[in-house]
Amino acid sequence: MFELNEFILKKAEELGFGDVVVLSYETNRRQVRFANNEITVAKHWHERKVELFVEKDKRIASTTITELSEENVERVLKTLKKNIENLSPKEDYYGIAEGPFQYKDIPETFDKAIVELDEPNDYVEIAINTALSEGAKRVAGVLYTDHNRLYLTTSNGVEAFDEGTGIEISVRAFVGDLESGHGTCSARVLKKFDPELAGRKAGEIAHMAKDPVQGPEGRFDVIFDPLAFANLLSYMGFMLSAYAAEAGFSFLAGKLGQKVASELVTLKDIGNLPNGYGTRKFDDEGVPTRETTVIENGTFKTFLLNTSLAKKYGTETTANAGLIMPRPWNLVLEPGDYSKAELFSEVKRGIYITNVWYTRFQNYVTGDFSTIPRDGIFLVENGEFKPIRNIRVSDNLQRILSNVVAIGNEPFQVHWWEVSRPVITPYVLVKDVGITRATK
Amino acid sequence: MELLEFAVEKALELGASYAEARYEEKSGTHLAMKNGSPEGIGIEADRGIGIRVLANGGMGFASTNVLTKESVAEAVKRAVKLAKAASQVRNEPIEFSDEDFHRVSYKVKMKKDFRDISPEEKLEILRKIEEEVKATGANVPMRYLMYSDQLWKKVFVNSEGAYVKSKIPRVSVVYNLVVFENGQMEQAPFVQRAFSGGFELIEKDEPWNWAVKDVKALKRLITEGKKPPEGRVDLVISPEVAGIAVHESVGHPYESDRIFGREAAQAGESFVKPDMLGERIGSEVVTVIDDPTIPNSWGFYLYDDEGVKARPRYLIRNGIITEFLTNREYARKLGQRSNASARAINYNREPIVRMANTYLAPGDYSFEELIEDIKLGVYMVSFNEWNIDDRRYQQRYIGREAYLIENGEIKYPVRRPILEITTRALWSSVDAVGKEVEFYPGTCGKGEPGQGVPVWMGGAHARLRDIPLRRP
Repeated sequence: MFELNEFILKKAEELGFGDVVVLSYETNRRQVRFANNEITVAKHWHERKVELFVEKDKRIASTTITELSEENVERVLKTLKKNIENLSPKEDYYGIAEGPFQYKDIPETFDKAIVELDEPNDYVEIAINTALSEGAKRVAGVLYTDHNRLYLTTSNGVEAFDEGTGIEISVRAFVGDLESGHGTCSARVLKKFDPELAGRKAGEIAHMAKDPVQGPEGRFDVIFDPLAFANLLSYMGFMLSAYAAEAGFSFLAGKLGQKVASELVTLKDIGNLPNGYGTRKFDDEGVPTRETTVIENGTFKTFLLNTSLAKKYGTETTANAGLIMPRPWNLVLEPGDYSKAELFSEVKRGIYITNVWYTRFQNYVTGDFSTIPRDGIFLVENGEFKPIRNIRVSDNLQRILSNVVAIGNEPFQVHWWEVSRPVITPYVLVKDVGITRATK
Repeated sequence: MELLEFAVEKALELGASYAEARYEEKSGTHLAMKNGSPEGIGIEADRGIGIRVLANGGMGFASTNVLTKESVAEAVKRAVKLAKAASQVRNEPIEFSDEDFHRVSYKVKMKKDFRDISPEEKLEILRKIEEEVKATGANVPMRYLMYSDQLWKKVFVNSEGAYVKSKIPRVSVVYNLVVFENGQMEQAPFVQRAFSGGFELIEKDEPWNWAVKDVKALKRLITEGKKPPEGRVDLVISPEVAGIAVHESVGHPYESDRIFGREAAQAGESFVKPDMLGERIGSEVVTVIDDPTIPNSWGFYLYDDEGVKARPRYLIRNGIITEFLTNREYARKLGQRSNASARAINYNREPIVRMANTYLAPGDYSFEELIEDIKLGVYMVSFNEWNIDDRRYQQRYIGREAYLIENGEIKYPVRRPILEITTRALWSSVDAVGKEVEFYPGTCGKGEPGQGVPVWMGGAHARLRDIPLRRP
């Protein structure tokens, strides 16, 4: 699609636009949804589209073009020009990256076997059957396969191509109405895909969660399963964007260089992570993706930036464009040195939370929020697991990060409905977490 | 639309027992302003066709945005193939309820067509919010404002004779405001005003007045706010709070796909079971209706995305569970007819069971009558943090603007009163409902891939007796 990109760029320059970014996608995505041990629907999406960003005298506009004929492209460009002519400028716009750049192949991001995979339903059956064999009665979930081609051309000398694949599954298993477990597996190459692992975890937790009793409230040491902690960290992904901080959606606003988490917490965004579900060779303005440490031993080091926001703050881009809104690629919590068993043995009386959902903030700038444990929840007492239910984590995100007292040594990649940007995290132990419950 | 008819015929030829094709076109603009600075304009022009089929009892869906006969034929082929393969991992075939279908065309008129209005003029709406917020004298260091409009055009055909063409314009303003006074911070995030119709509706609604009301309330909360009472008190909830409560704890658990477990891995299941129809869930004064047909509502439609004619749905009548939200698949399982709750957010999404405009129906109390005999209580006007478990039973709402009620009078603002309660307790505690109904817009999330559909939530004021309130 580079020819189309070039055509768009040429026409945009003829119309007098300054910065121009043309990002074209060709995607093939398959989905198999299942519930009650059967497939509810199977889908396929084939899409070709162009995301277009243009600038003229600090006036900016963006659009997505799906009808890719030359006539339509010209019509769209003229519409953009007409629309921004009398529009107020974005005074804090400072341009896009100067290319060209060199790009390296990132291992484990493309697998021909996924492109050629004819029928993924066998994987669904493996996941369902594994969960059933662990004691589940009902199994639900979703499987995806992905094949994406990305073509980037900018007015600043960038021409870049990336091709990627992926396969992932999310499995939720039920024993009764109140007993459930969840497991996921996301991989960019087929040999790292393990639907059995996801099904087994879902089934095991559901089985362990049998006959739960009403949980307690108060402050507890909590072990967050990677699935649960990834959910909390996914909100960090949003809050780390400099754009979100300016707009009033981040407790990190004004905290650069300050302590925002426990010494044990080192959080990175890694755009070029092998096998990362969010991995790409370059960001939306063509800067090669890289590893950026955002929190180092508890100290907040940098927001995620694009070129314009970086210039505004007198620093360098972190290769996280989003031309308007920077965003993370793969958020990674550095592993600690606790084995899973050691982590659990640290807890005399605490709670093991295997999954959460519906995280909502009372106030983004202070970080006050609550979230609901879903699937198996266990009171952990001297190594014993007692299933509980109906509790809520009600606390503050910075406080949670500051109270991290131990981190597991094995990271897991989490990417599912609740965690739309991938998060890689181990098990995490947090002290004094606020737990509430309905009292009527 | 010849391509749609072609798609349906082709699917039947390939062995589908049922086929539907939906063309959708969405065009519009969005503008944002961050702390007084315009962020540029986004222009949307998206269109495509989605095809859904049943074959051998399995369901397949495929979509394309390349609108040629070849591309549509390819999508149809894929949908039928996927349905057949899926049928092999099924315990029983999917079947649809019998329905009456129509050939109809409808549209929502715009008095002021937003396509004729310049981006700069649209930006003026956001500027006006900026100016009015500043004029309050409150310190509001973070201000994020968004305007958007969108014209939705749709054509739906199916193999059973349906042909539904619609044109619905939608306009919306969203704001996030952070008030910082005396070293303290309060926030009104993602507040939305939104309608189906023309630009005149947003102008008439005057979103700047809503923003000013929020800013003044938050400033007063900081300067005069006290701790809310703790323990068992009476609680009066506003139409806005009643709206989120009916949406979360009535609308969602009554979605039949959730009741039958289809959403189990994503949006969750339901505490409601099919045999709970006719069971009491709330007091006599609680009636909850979901009505897609309310003119100019954010959740407006007259025919759903399976071509079925819409009507008001009485989810709870006088405290009794009376109806679930259904599409054709689950209406069949329930031995009923569909009540037209199937919605898809775009051509590339399957229609699934959704709400539209859900509200607590009015009672016969004036606001004064609701509070006059409350000795000690709280009036919760708006909320921030809220959530509910995936069976829709354990929920929590935290007040943003809220006041103490003492001896029948509204007194000073109280900070963050927390209502954490079960669904049954919530609706059983209501002993009186106000006369006036108001609606508030929202985006209801469900499905995978996610489908955020526009909905209104609302109702009348309601009084809840003997409620355990918490403090942060």
